[in-house]
Amino acid sequence: MAGAQTDEAAEAVRGPAWDPVVRLTHWGIAAAVLLNGLLTEGGEAAHVWIGWAAFALLALRVVWGFAGPEEARFSAFPPSLSAARGHVSDVLAGRRRTHRSHDPLGALMTYALWSVLAVVVATGIAMEGGPFPEPGEAASVAFVSAATADEVGEEADDDHDEAGEGEEDEALEEVHEAAANLLLILAALHVAGVALESRRFGVNLVGPMIDGRRRGP
Amino acid sequence: MSRRAVRAAGRAGASGRPFALAALLVVQTLCAVFFAADVAADLSWNGLSLHAGFEAVVALALAVGVALGAVEMRRTLERSRRADAAAQAASGAFAALMEERFEAWGLTPAEAEVALFALKGLDVAEIAAVRGAAAGTVRAQLAKVYAKAGVSGRGQLVSSFIEALLDGPLPGARRAAGRPEAAG
Repeated sequence: MAGAQTDEAAEAVRGPAWDPVVRLTHWGIAAAVLLNGLLTEGGEAAHVWIGWAAFALLALRVVWGFAGPEEARFSAFPPSLSAARGHVSDVLAGRRRTHRSHDPLGALMTYALWSVLAVVVATGIAMEGGPFPEPGEAASVAFVSAATADEVGEEADDDHDEAGEGEEDEALEEVHEAAANLLLILAALHVAGVALESRRFGVNLVGPMIDGRRRGP
Repeated sequence: MSRRAVRAAGRAGASGRPFALAALLVVQTLCAVFFAADVAADLSWNGLSLHAGFEAVVALALAVGVALGAVEMRRTLERSRRADAAAQAASGAFAALMEERFEAWGLTPAEAEVALFALKGLDVAEIAAVRGAAAGTVRAQLAKVYAKAGVSGRGQLVSSFIEALLDGPLPGARRAAGRPEAAG
């Protein structure tokens, strides 16, 4: 059995060669999450625009999950707790099994990242609305410089308070922040997981996500 | 020049066209989402107007364009993967054929290497430079290769391989080969 598997294993151990759409959406979303999570401030025009861009990239990745090549399709990495458990026991036992797309644990992480990102995006849109400022009151919010963004943002919040939307907005903001923090933690775990699997197989798994080419073991 | 050509041919598999297509798809999606968001905002502030309705149609067309672009992108990827696989199979077949012949001709390892470089299109001076040998040595080795293979020179050596590879699977080649017979 081991003999029959060797060839396939040698091919698949290197991991999938990711196509350009997967690569662009992956790094685009990674950049958007880092920028909005660590650099820009909520309410700032840049924050809103980057959030919308992340939404667009996520949407494209979902379309690609149905229309893309085999290893990019959702059917290639279905979310399965039992498969993930099997993968964990593989890791603990030092077994190396081959996967044509994400490994089962990586697949769960992928879906977790996407769903949390969807929550962040949805709450963000609920708070800020479209990427273009409303003609009336919020026009100032989008086009102020970064230096005064906080101040104006607070004023805008006050306006909402008067309109009686304060509680709802506060709840949205809390969910938005909690989900964003969770997203950053998941992203860190994701990086750690990739590092662990790369070490375990002695293969650079990051390379194929950068240039789409497989690395030999 | 020929060495560079060989290396370039090896790299041609990972072409930049799918990447450019994918980048275009990403830009298209960004446009579609931003446009759709703008239309949604317009509709919620001002209700349905001719302007907003027209914009909604444009946004819808953009979204359909993204979906069709994705399908087209998949086709392009699959086509280039099939071509890569075919090229790999062909080069694998050629390598197997070469090994088999070199063995049948009883080439020494040094002669086999010189023959391989000759097949790749390197001239005597280039082979000598690659192997760090004198041009005279290479010329003598090549002469031995041609003698053992029973060919008159490099041209015939190359055509003997091409003939073997074209044997059989190409109906066009067989028809062309049959014509002179019919005439004679």
